[in-house]
Amino acid sequence: MKPLLHFCLIDDSAFDLFIYEKLLIKSGITDTVKTFNSAREALKHLLTEGSVLPETIILLDLQMPDMNGFEFVDEYANLPGFLREKVKIFMLSSTIDTRDIEKAKASPHIIDLLPKPLEVSYLKNRLSL
Amino acid sequence: MNEKPITILYIDDEEHNLHSFKASFRKQYDITITASVVEAEEILEKKDFCIILADQRMPVMSGVQFFEKIRLKFPKPIRILITGHTDIGAAIDAINKGEVFRFIDKPWDYKYVETAISNAYEIYKTREDLKQRNSELQKANEELDKFVYSASHDLRAPLMSVLGIVNLALLEEDVQSQNEYLELIRQSVKKLDTFIINIIDYYKNARGVPVVTDISFDELVTEVQATIQYLPEYGNLKMTTDIDQSGNFQSDVMKLRIIFNNLINNAIKFQDKSKPDPYVHLTVRSTPTEARITVADNGLGIKESDQDKIFRMFYRAGATNSGSGIGLYIVHEAISKLEGQISVSSKIGEGSVFEINIPSIRK
Repeated sequence: MKPLLHFCLIDDSAFDLFIYEKLLIKSGITDTVKTFNSAREALKHLLTEGSVLPETIILLDLQMPDMNGFEFVDEYANLPGFLREKVKIFMLSSTIDTRDIEKAKASPHIIDLLPKPLEVSYLKNRLSL
Repeated sequence: MNEKPITILYIDDEEHNLHSFKASFRKQYDITITASVVEAEEILEKKDFCIILADQRMPVMSGVQFFEKIRLKFPKPIRILITGHTDIGAAIDAINKGEVFRFIDKPWDYKYVETAISNAYEIYKTREDLKQRNSELQKANEELDKFVYSASHDLRAPLMSVLGIVNLALLEEDVQSQNEYLELIRQSVKKLDTFIINIIDYYKNARGVPVVTDISFDELVTEVQATIQYLPEYGNLKMTTDIDQSGNFQSDVMKLRIIFNNLINNAIKFQDKSKPDPYVHLTVRSTPTEARITVADNGLGIKESDQDKIFRMFYRAGATNSGSGIGLYIVHEAISKLEGQISVSSKIGEGSVFEINIPSIRK
C-alpha cells in the first residue's frame, strides 16, 4: 500500500484551516495535515525542514494579507530544486476572477486551481489516487 | 481672475519683433522670447508653455521645421506660425499637416494676435482638462475594479466556508459535533453580515447627504457601547471613557458613529488575550469649535511598516483574525469628509493609540 500523503494547508481563515484539515483526514487521503495561517510562516517551514521535508501537497489560499498565494508561489520558485521536487502546489480559493484563474493556470508551479469548498474526490482524481 | 497667466514662447530672429511683441502683451501674458531656435529648445526643457509662436523665416531652421522638430517631444503647447505673405504656401502646408494651429501674417495687428492667442489657449486648456478628467476617471475605474475584486472575495469567502462546513457536517455521524459546526456557521454568517454592513456604511458615507445635528458625545458613546458589549469577542476587555464636552458641537452623527464603532470594534478584535488586563480607553475633549478623540488600547499593536497602510482600502495588516480591510478605510473616509485628521501611534505587543481631530460644522 502506498504511504499516505502529507498535506500542508495555507490559509488566513481559521475556519477554512479547521474545515479542510478535518475534511482531508476524514476522507482518508491523509493523516498528516500541517496548517499555516500565514504564507510567510509556511515558507519558513519549508526551508527549516529542508532535506527532511516529506513529499507534500500544499493547498494554498489566494487572498491573504502580508503574502498572498501568488507571492508565495513567486518565493517558492526561488527555492532549491530538491525542495521544489518534494512539493506539489494546488491553489484552493473562492475566487471567480478570470485574471486570477488565468494567472493560476499559466503558472508552471501551480498544478491546478481548486474552487472552495474543496471536493476531495476531485483532488484525488487530480492526484491519480 | 486668479488663474495662472498664459505662458507664451516667441521665437523670431528679428530682435525688433520680439521686443515689440513683448511690449504689447507683457501685461496680459507670461512671455519668454528668444532669437535662436537652439536656445528655444533649451527653454522648452525648463519651462512649460501653453503656446509657442515662431517666425517662419529664420536662418538655421524655418518656423515649420522647428515645430516639426519639437512636436513629438513637447506636444502640449499650441503652435502658431508668424509669416509674411510670400510664405503663404508653406503656411498652408503646415496647417494641413497639423504642424500649426494658426498662422498670423505680418505685419501683425494687436487684436488679431490677441484673438489667435485666446483661441489657442482655449484649445490648450480643453486638452489639458480632458487629460485631467481622463486620469481622474482612470483612477476611479481602477478603484472600482479593486473594490469589486475585493468585495466579491469578502462576500464569497464566508459563504464558501459555510458550504465547506455543511459538506463536512454531512460526513459526520456523531450528532454532538454537529453543534460545533453550527457554531462555525454562525460565526461565518456573522462575518459576512459585518462586511455587508460595512459596505453599506461606506456607501452612505461616500454618497449620502450629511445630516448635521448637535452632538452629545455622552449619548453617542453610550449607544455605541450598548451595541458591542454583548459581542462574544468582547472577552475580558475593560472599556473606560473620559468625556468632557463644553458647549455645542455640531457634526454628522452617522459618520461619528461609524468612526467610534470601527475603532472600538478593532480594539476588541485585536486585544492581546495574553495580557491580564486588556483595556480600551476612550477620551473625548469637545469644544464648540473642535473635538479631540483618542482611542487607546494595550492590544496587539500594529507593525511600524503597516502603520501608513492601514487606512487604505482592503489593506489587511497581520495574518490572524484580520477582517476585510475596509473598517479603517471607512473611518478615514468619514474623517476626511468631516475635514478632520486621524493619526496612529503603535508598538507591537504594547498597544495602539488613535488620535482624531474633527472641527465642528457650523450650520
